[in-house]
Amino acid sequence: MAINAFQAALLGLFACLASLPGMAGTTVGNYTLGRPLVAGLVVGVILGDVQTGIIVGAAIQLVYIALVTPGGTVSADVRAVSYIGIPLAILAIKAYGLDPSSVEAASQAAAIGAAVGTLGTVLFYGTATMNLVWQGIGWRAMESKEWGRIKKTIPMVDFVFPWVSHILFSFIPTFFICMAGESMVGIMKEYLPMNGIPMMTLFTVGTLLPTVGVAILCKQVITKPLDWVTFAFGFILAGALGLNLIVSAVVAVFFAVLNYQLQQAKNVRLAAATSGNVSADDEEEEDI
Amino acid sequence: MAEKKTISQKARNKSFLSWIYGNLTCFSQEHMQTFGYLASMLPIVDELYDTDDQKVEALSTYTTFFNTEPQIGSMVVGLTASLEEARANGEAIDDETINGLRAGLMGPLAGLGDSIIVGTFIPILLGIALGLSKGGSVLGPLFYVVVWNLIMYFGMKFAYDQGYSLGSSAVEALVGPESEALRSSIVMIGTMVIGSVAATWINVTTSLNIAGVDIQTTLNGIFPKVLNLLFVYLCWWLMTKKKLSPTVVMLILVVVALVGVVIGVFNPGLSY
Repeated sequence: MAINAFQAALLGLFACLASLPGMAGTTVGNYTLGRPLVAGLVVGVILGDVQTGIIVGAAIQLVYIALVTPGGTVSADVRAVSYIGIPLAILAIKAYGLDPSSVEAASQAAAIGAAVGTLGTVLFYGTATMNLVWQGIGWRAMESKEWGRIKKTIPMVDFVFPWVSHILFSFIPTFFICMAGESMVGIMKEYLPMNGIPMMTLFTVGTLLPTVGVAILCKQVITKPLDWVTFAFGFILAGALGLNLIVSAVVAVFFAVLNYQLQQAKNVRLAAATSGNVSADDEEEEDI
Repeated sequence: MAEKKTISQKARNKSFLSWIYGNLTCFSQEHMQTFGYLASMLPIVDELYDTDDQKVEALSTYTTFFNTEPQIGSMVVGLTASLEEARANGEAIDDETINGLRAGLMGPLAGLGDSIIVGTFIPILLGIALGLSKGGSVLGPLFYVVVWNLIMYFGMKFAYDQGYSLGSSAVEALVGPESEALRSSIVMIGTMVIGSVAATWINVTTSLNIAGVDIQTTLNGIFPKVLNLLFVYLCWWLMTKKKLSPTVVMLILVVVALVGVVIGVFNPGLSY
């Protein structure tokens, strides 16, 4: 299976739209097209194998289920993960002749996606640095104090010029890496046989990597030791009781409602207590 | 006395659309959302002031650095639109007041947006979408695309309008005790769903065999999929207690995998 120039160009275009900060904006670009699960569908449609695309996207999505980028520090680049990592993973799965729905295929996809995503951070910094040039044009317009010029320049700086950064740092790398993908995967297959230590390690890493993604999320939501009980409860719902994710979510909503009512009751009591204190204070003041 | 100026619905829409689309399009490490903010305030300032000099002066207020969680941050843009309207009507609001407010809101809203929207809401949606994607079904990604974008479009519009009509009290409502109860409940759903995701989609198993006893089977008899849980905890511990970055933790896992494969703890059981 090879990726032709037209397909590679489409992948490059989506890489421009999807990256953080992408040309489709934050909500549609980064948080929709940049999510590996959605990208799996897009790449699957472009390469003509939707099912494999989504399976690979889902496997890689787990590693990046909580890609929070506080203050613009990135540990992985979504355009690289989604539009370079997923196509390469699909090619690798086909080259090694794996069943796309197997654990092995998912592990290989996760390992390739994570490797590409980490290396891809260089694209993030490249785009952000090049945008300084366009911002410079914006600053000069602001300094000129001519409203006509400012009114024309600011939208150009924010909406149009960054496309140039993306053609250089999103389109071109995606295009060429995807075009070379087949031979890269071929070399990998030749030098790294499936039953050798490097490949066994790669697949094992692939099964371990999603735990990092989940742990990043735990870092966000688990603030006290007891929160691990909540986490373990959700884990047991699916792991031991065998509930699917949708049913688990409904059970979670039930407990969240209970929690909300409990917290609200606490707030009411707290409010009553403080208003009681205030009136007591008022009385004291009157006494004085 | 000139009649009271109000921003037209059209200008507010243009401002909102500029923000929802362009909040980060011209991102740099130095000025993250500053140009997104300038582009969003441009239609507002253009309509409120009569002379070019006034417009330039008003827009210059927003050249200071701005960065927050951009989706929840649309409330701040709406808020400054209402402040600008008040200023155009002659109220004594100076640049320092506006920028003080913006700087003061950036941090708390970033914390709230990162933990609720990015850290909880998206993972819940993705968790459900992953559930719908089993076997490569298009239902999963389509569910995410539709639900996420609809909620965010109307949510951000609501936040912008609230910021515009209620001013700073809108933001206070976001960080008050009432919303804290809601916040902790949403986080609770997120924590449980992600627990279920960890049990459903992660597959850490050992091939260890001690004196004819298959350890994986034994473990499953005690606590199904316990190795998933242990590895999540290990990664969390490395990141929070040892302050390691996710990239370093991933590298540690590569070493763990290599050593595990060599000594026979892990064996993915590959064959052609």
